[in-house]
Amino acid sequence: MGNDDHALIRTVLAGEKDAYGLLVARHSQSVFRVAFRITENEADAEEIVQEAFLRGYRKLESFDARANFRTWIYRIAVNCALDVLNKRKKQVAVPIAEEYDGEQGTVQPADGAAGPDRLLLSQEIEARRQAAMEKLTPTERLAFVLRHMEDRSTEEIATALGIAPNSAKQAVFRAVQKLRQSLAPLWVKS
Amino acid sequence: MKHLTEEELIEHYYSEDLYKAESEAHLQACKHCAQAYDELGKLLSSVHAPEPPARSSGYGAQVWQSIQGSLRPYQPKAKRSYFRWPQLGYAAACLLLLAGAFLTGRIWEHEHTQPSLAGTPQQAKERVVLFVLDNHLDRSERLLVQLNHAGTEEEKVDLPLQAEARQLLTDNRLYRQSIAQANDPLLAAALDHLERVLLEVANSPDELSSGDIARIEKEMNTQGLLFQIRVLRTKASGQETNAQATRKGATI
Repeated sequence: MGNDDHALIRTVLAGEKDAYGLLVARHSQSVFRVAFRITENEADAEEIVQEAFLRGYRKLESFDARANFRTWIYRIAVNCALDVLNKRKKQVAVPIAEEYDGEQGTVQPADGAAGPDRLLLSQEIEARRQAAMEKLTPTERLAFVLRHMEDRSTEEIATALGIAPNSAKQAVFRAVQKLRQSLAPLWVKS
Repeated sequence: MKHLTEEELIEHYYSEDLYKAESEAHLQACKHCAQAYDELGKLLSSVHAPEPPARSSGYGAQVWQSIQGSLRPYQPKAKRSYFRWPQLGYAAACLLLLAGAFLTGRIWEHEHTQPSLAGTPQQAKERVVLFVLDNHLDRSERLLVQLNHAGTEEEKVDLPLQAEARQLLTDNRLYRQSIAQANDPLLAAALDHLERVLLEVANSPDELSSGDIARIEKEMNTQGLLFQIRVLRTKASGQETNAQATRKGATI
């Protein structure tokens, strides 16, 4: 696959633009997946996919032949996602009144109960998780998604975000702490 | 016993701790840390990655369709050729320009220096006439000096002035005709003036008195003629010097 990608890149650089279409077809699903996990928004994820492949095409001459195109376009997509998150953060300020009230939303499922109660707990967790994710800074959110959901190492996160490994590690810590604060009441009462 | 920090618990959860074995041993031994780690595990394991909406198999083609219009094809890199390197092209052009300027300069110098050696045909002819005339003018000057000098003495003058004047008169006529073709009005005027003086002296009685000479001198303005002849000789001498210098310069 990697060698095929390199051959396609050479073809594109030789003037055959359509060869890039094959690269897009090959990697767009995985790029969409990470974009959606970061933004949790379908439209934003689609926008990130398009922007990532556009940027990728324009930077294709700087692509290192020893690198992996999948990893390379992944990093570009992460940066595009960071831009989207930053833009979203500026546009939407979460009103304090809408912040999640821990006590109000607490659900106490019956011991060992399955069915509606368990389903309700899952929905509660998901709602709190989403609210907690929105409170994270773009860097914290990205670092946490890449670490927890994409199973990327600290080094990979640092490279993708263009920050020092220690900064990437601290971003993950802060994200976990914030999530813990939001989700802990559920576990205390369960 | 030192408990694990929250950061160390998180590192341990993601298997990024440097001392994994020690942390594991501590969690086995320490109930407090084990409970904290258990809570952390429950929390993080409950956080699932949101499931992305399914994309159709033609999603990649859709993405490509949406972006391909704004992409310009890359220009194939030209094969490296010495003649296609712009820097070498500029250097070659500069060299050609320099060579052209040098050759033009040489040709221009050649075309403009050669005539200066020989001069224009007019100048060349004038120089030849002056050179040939120099001897005639020299003799005429000496005759006029003698004539002017003789005019100041009281006694009769017994000088071979007339014989000399007759000889010079013949030559002068020839020179004057030649000069008329050379288009030198100053020289022509001088020779004309000289001819009249020579004619007067040549046609005078055999023995010229100082009074006769003084009259000729006065009427014919021989002093002025002498000055003219000296000027002409100086001019001829100057032109000859310049011509010699030019020839030397050209040779170098």
